[in-house]
Amino acid sequence: MHVYRQIGSVLALLAACGSVRAGDLTVYSALESDEIAIYLAAAKKALPDIDVHVLRLSSGDLAARLLAESAEPRNDAIWGMAVTDMLDPRIAALLTPVHGSNIDRMPASFRGSDSTWFAPTGYLAALCVNRDALAERGLPMPHTWRDLTSPMYRGQIAMPDPASSGTGYMVLSSLSDAGRNAEGMRLVTDIARNVGQETLSGSAPCKLARIGEFPIGISFAFSAMQSIRQGYPVTMVIPADGAGYELEGSAMMKSASHVAEARRFLDWTASADAAALYRGFKEIVATPGSEPTDEQLRQGLPAHLVATLPARDFATAARERAALIARFKQLTR
Amino acid sequence: MGEYVSSVVAPRAIARPRFGAALLLALPLLGLLLFFVHPLLTVLWRSVTDANGAFTLANYGRLLDDPGLPRAALRSLSIGVATTFTTMAFGLCLAMTLHRSRLRGKFLIRGALLLPMLAPSLVLGLGLVCLLGRNGLVHRLTGIPTDIYGFWGLLIANTLYGLPQVVIIVSAALERTPARHYDAAASMGATPWRQFIDVTLPRLRFALLAAAFLVFTETLTDFGSAVVVGGSYRVLAMEIYSEVVGQLDFAMGATLGVVLLAPALLSVWLGRLAKRRQDSGDASPGRALVPEHHPLRDAVLGTVAAIALLPVVAVVGTVAYVSAVKLWPYDRTLTLANYTGGMPDGYGPVATSLGVSLLAAVVGVVMIFALSAGLRRASPRIARPLQVLASLPAAVPGMVLGLGYVLTFNHGALSGWFYGSAAIVAACSLYHYHAQAFLTMQTGMRQVPDALEDAVASFGGDTRHVLRDAVLPFAMPAAISTFFYLFMRSLVTLSGVIFLVTPGLGLASVAVMRLDENGFLAQAAAYAMCVVVAGALALGAMRLLLHVLKDRRHVA
Repeated sequence: MHVYRQIGSVLALLAACGSVRAGDLTVYSALESDEIAIYLAAAKKALPDIDVHVLRLSSGDLAARLLAESAEPRNDAIWGMAVTDMLDPRIAALLTPVHGSNIDRMPASFRGSDSTWFAPTGYLAALCVNRDALAERGLPMPHTWRDLTSPMYRGQIAMPDPASSGTGYMVLSSLSDAGRNAEGMRLVTDIARNVGQETLSGSAPCKLARIGEFPIGISFAFSAMQSIRQGYPVTMVIPADGAGYELEGSAMMKSASHVAEARRFLDWTASADAAALYRGFKEIVATPGSEPTDEQLRQGLPAHLVATLPARDFATAARERAALIARFKQLTR
Repeated sequence: MGEYVSSVVAPRAIARPRFGAALLLALPLLGLLLFFVHPLLTVLWRSVTDANGAFTLANYGRLLDDPGLPRAALRSLSIGVATTFTTMAFGLCLAMTLHRSRLRGKFLIRGALLLPMLAPSLVLGLGLVCLLGRNGLVHRLTGIPTDIYGFWGLLIANTLYGLPQVVIIVSAALERTPARHYDAAASMGATPWRQFIDVTLPRLRFALLAAAFLVFTETLTDFGSAVVVGGSYRVLAMEIYSEVVGQLDFAMGATLGVVLLAPALLSVWLGRLAKRRQDSGDASPGRALVPEHHPLRDAVLGTVAAIALLPVVAVVGTVAYVSAVKLWPYDRTLTLANYTGGMPDGYGPVATSLGVSLLAAVVGVVMIFALSAGLRRASPRIARPLQVLASLPAAVPGMVLGLGYVLTFNHGALSGWFYGSAAIVAACSLYHYHAQAFLTMQTGMRQVPDALEDAVASFGGDTRHVLRDAVLPFAMPAAISTFFYLFMRSLVTLSGVIFLVTPGLGLASVAVMRLDENGFLAQAAAYAMCVVVAGALALGAMRLLLHVLKDRRHVA
């Protein structure tokens, strides 16, 4: 019996060494793998004593995982997840306020009033338009959301399903002002009538557009800029009649076992050094002092984007998600 | 006639060794309860409880509220029936070509059938889009307007996916057929067509029904292809995804999961059929069947096989082509750059996936062999529920099972070492594909002659001897198929394991999905081709090992 107990305690100790080594940080993230690699290399230089282990999942998968693990969370922090997903009351309940010199300097509209979240970056709804495919079908270039309701685009648009994609919900919620604006609601349902393929993820419509499957993909700006950079015949259109955007929030878990390290890492993600790197991937960078790059301006990104974004009530958008999606389904199916 | 035979056979069952059979069943049953029933119930419990844990049926009421659901159910049903018919027709022809024709180059057919199993399912969808999409290869080369989004795209994708499975199961029943029956039929003047109808088909009854059951239930639950080529043709599996991942409504996802379980009740019939003996193996196998010379038959079978396999080869070929061009489809200069750069995860996940798959296949084939062997001797009261239980996983969407694994094993006794390990991924893959593996094994075991088994037992052989000397020699081809089937499926499965990856445990299929999600189509295709090649090399190595072992045994 005694021997077993000794073996047990040695095993427990070993397990403890494996999982709770100081400086080992477990972070769940919905950022893309290629950008994560670049950010982490810089973070390692700034914080050499912290080893960050990142699990990357799409925002919806990540939310489902957090919820399923909520009885015993496995991560210390969340890094870059759609705020409307993160503020789902069941996930928000897992978070704890986090402060830091950089975090506290973030503009108020990019930070939770209770300090449980902050968002140095975000993305903007945009159309990916394939010029070749458009010309092949003899269609004009759309400039507004309203344009997309025209019958000539019937079956020519790919759009993310608001029920499964954060980007889809962002478009629905922004254009209809969380369902309060009846005319905006009609606009979205009219667009939905022209959709030829609904996709699960927000980047998929742009990927369909860039290979010419559908001339128009409703997606977000980074996806369009990436297509342009890779050399596809794609034009980015930011619809003039209403900006839809989503923020990528970061937060500390209540259950974090490495609080000090998690705080230092999160504060670094809100630093000016990190912001400089975000510019390679993000259209919205809220960190004070960050300006769009020349390439972004050339590709059609407005210069004073962050200052002109309309205020969005993310907590309400998250809370009323189910009801709004149910209404949208009733109207479109 | 059939009834008469079974009534004669039935009394014999009393003398059979029951204790050994119970032992054979215990371990696989424990596995099923722990790693399938337990997580499944954990999820399904959510369909009848509200946020506070109180009992409610409100979720089932909500099924009727959603206007999209009845239509999605109807569509799932029609695509399920259509897929089952096409897949069965082509699958039967392919299996006949492999086992009942003199066609040369059968290894080509076998090789082509491996392709859809080795390629991650997401990649098959992408290949289909790049080949037959509105701006796909066919359209660009010929100018013909192509559009696969919708019913036809789903039908093609699901058929590609189900085809190898049907061939595997039907082949397990066609293997080791004695020539006697055909000789007898021929001597009575039966034409080859009559021989097919009267001799071959009755022997295939169980295999055909099992294969049809699998294809039907799997088409209902699989959302991998629906996502890529479904267009606005929304099916039930997509609704589950949108409830669970899009709206974080686990209760509604679980409720839809219960609805999808309904077709699994069909497997009760399979259980009844499994107990009937008239199409079981022959007492004295005798000379193995060698198909006779018949050019017309070979020509017809060869043509159908070519028609069935052309899309398979074309789709995977398109993926290979996409992986080797600069900018699909606009700059088709060949390059190898996609294989070397832009892969943040590296090729480590391929090795991890190979290890996990090997684990799932080794453990799986042992458990499923024991289960199938035990069921041969079990009384119907035990056998029928077990038959349903072992076939049930086919009706459970991978995502529901994966979610169940997180909800069950994230905390509790096993969480310490099991959660986040390679073992949990292997378990999830094994039990996700349990039904397919089990039904293949069972079909193969029906080739074991009852009389031989009885003979070994009556000479004083215990269960161990019966297994070694009677069951194993006949069931070996099916056991090998089952092993490779589990290996390949575990290598590429995505829907369940996506919930189980951790920062330290990357998988190849997840790496492919990430590359595609991040917008690197060519790199995703390149990574997928590496998975195909790695899987094929592993298969080749294992086949070689098997060959060497077999030769050794003969020498000794």
